[in-house]
Amino acid sequence: MDPETLDLARLQFALTAGGHFLFVALTLGMALVVACLQTAATVTNGAPHQRMVRFWGQLYVINYAVGIITGLVMEFQFGLSWSGLTHYAGNVFGASLAVETIVAFFVESTFLGLWIFGWHRFNRWVHLATIWVVALTACVSAYWILVSNGFLNNPVGHRTEDGTLVLADAGALLTNPSSLLAFGHILGGALLTAGFFMAGVSAYHLFRRTDEVAFFVRSLRIGVFVSFPALWVTAGFGGVQLASLTDLQPMKSAVFSGKRAEIAELQAEMVTRFGPGDYVPSEVWTRGGALVMLIAFALMMYLSLAGVVLACFRKAVQRFRLWHVVLMAAVPLPYLAMISGWVFREAGRQPWVVYGLLKTEDAVSGHSPGTMLASLITFTVLFAALAVLNGWLLLRHARLGPVETGLGHDERARAEPATAGPPPFTPRY
Amino acid sequence: MDTLAVCLLAFFAAGYFVLAGADIGTGMLLPYLGGDDGERRLVIAAFAPFFLGNEVWLVATAGVLVGCFPVLEGELLSAQLTVVVPLIAGWMVRDAGLWLRGRGGGRRWRAGCDGAVVCGSWAVALAWGWLLAALFSGTPERTAATPVGAVTALAVAALFAAHGLGFAALRLTGRPWARAHRLVGRTGAGRSFTLTAVLMGALPLFAGPALHPAAHAADRATLTLLVPVLLAFCPLLVAAQAWTWHTFRHRVTHPSYL
Repeated sequence: MDPETLDLARLQFALTAGGHFLFVALTLGMALVVACLQTAATVTNGAPHQRMVRFWGQLYVINYAVGIITGLVMEFQFGLSWSGLTHYAGNVFGASLAVETIVAFFVESTFLGLWIFGWHRFNRWVHLATIWVVALTACVSAYWILVSNGFLNNPVGHRTEDGTLVLADAGALLTNPSSLLAFGHILGGALLTAGFFMAGVSAYHLFRRTDEVAFFVRSLRIGVFVSFPALWVTAGFGGVQLASLTDLQPMKSAVFSGKRAEIAELQAEMVTRFGPGDYVPSEVWTRGGALVMLIAFALMMYLSLAGVVLACFRKAVQRFRLWHVVLMAAVPLPYLAMISGWVFREAGRQPWVVYGLLKTEDAVSGHSPGTMLASLITFTVLFAALAVLNGWLLLRHARLGPVETGLGHDERARAEPATAGPPPFTPRY
Repeated sequence: MDTLAVCLLAFFAAGYFVLAGADIGTGMLLPYLGGDDGERRLVIAAFAPFFLGNEVWLVATAGVLVGCFPVLEGELLSAQLTVVVPLIAGWMVRDAGLWLRGRGGGRRWRAGCDGAVVCGSWAVALAWGWLLAALFSGTPERTAATPVGAVTALAVAALFAAHGLGFAALRLTGRPWARAHRLVGRTGAGRSFTLTAVLMGALPLFAGPALHPAAHAADRATLTLLVPVLLAFCPLLVAAQAWTWHTFRHRVTHPSYL
């Protein structure tokens, strides 16, 4: 193993997984919000809700598309640069990834196509069902990914046979506290991200005094009233996770609290258990990540508390321009909390890729640094371009407001086909 | 269980080549089929509702690989990194072009996205050819040498394009249809598409044995739980996809969301 290859492979994984995670945060939350909006639209069969589904759905689809594209890299990343991990732990760790692709993502993608292109083709209840399948399989997807991630953080349900891991107890793997707690935490965080996003975009329109007052007053309220409970769910699961670290990953816990004596004691203990080596994760990333997350949480908590009170008064929602500015500025806060919390979780378990079983340095594929660097540059450039494009397009469509074109527009309503020409065959179906 | 796992792998891989091969091939021919901006949008509409559901077959293939053949997944992808990275990069560029084409403004934006779709589609097809060359020559542990790799890549890319052409001739109307029809010639779109579909489906089935998947299967405990779950879901997946194909079965006369 070349140390330079290891660093490059880790950097590639951190950038691609982190990048993908930020897209997912909004997608997962928005999927649920859009599904609820469409439920309201379908039940009331009213135009105002219908327009909200199309506007917020448009932003959701843009973000979703870029999220899927970044997710493609994730799917192949383990095999490409971490073959040691699939070799050693694949029997246990690979199964949940397999179930995720087939039970969740396959269904989700197929139904997303039906939802996007099925506007004006299906009965409205059938169309509603397609978005709910998308939203629920997105949650199932998140669960299975966290089963994999939870196993890496807290390996359970396995035994060792001939130097590799085999599955011993599927129940333990599926109910791993490290997975379940993270799942609740992520689900809350995703709704929180979606809530802040909705409130921020709505605040922009109310601040600029665009025509769609009723539309964005309602949207802003939804954003605020979604993010408030979501924040507490996220914080609740986060708190329990933090407490569980003292048992599951005492070293991460010690670095987080900055207890020098305890760190030294744990280091000595791990050297006797696992042989010589440095078992202390980077303090900057571990502690720094946790602190940034906690600061972002505190800011969101105050904003959210004030927001829930203010949102009860229509005048404030419509006219309180300073609040509008604050809401717009707060859109990045959930992202910041998500990414720094993730850095805390993942950096804090180093040097392990499978905690206590396999070191990160033993999992990396045997590429030359040059090959790894080329792959890193390729993906980093693509991810950066996609992130910029996503930001630009979201901003563009958010500013456009609810318009007739785009998602849910009935293209068949045009008088003439875009291309005239020789008559087609009669379709033989 | 090992045999069933191999069948699952073959099923998803063949499904990917037959289904996604069609929209990748059509993407490769975009400059030929679509003379102007509006026509190109129509060509994209021919596969718009399907392409996400098509490419997900490859994601599922990778899922079966990592779940049922984890060691093989690591060894194959790591050994073929120099081909797999361009494949994924091309895939990303192509998808970005497709998804974002209709979302930006202006003719130049759309022309840029069309360029991304064409280049990405070619990159994916050529990379597949190069990857398959290594498997056909029985050396999955290293990338194929230049002459063999390049020739196979071109041949496989030509097959992708022919498959896309038949698909376009079956799905389009108007001038883009006329262009596709001219190239398909007297073979007829239906027959041409059936032939290329069989060849596309055969590609992974002939290349697969070089990997000796059965010898690399995951531990029995994993397979006993995993394979039945995956098998149980297969009819549901096929039904959902069949519903999509049925819903959008008519030839396209108007652009769609993309």
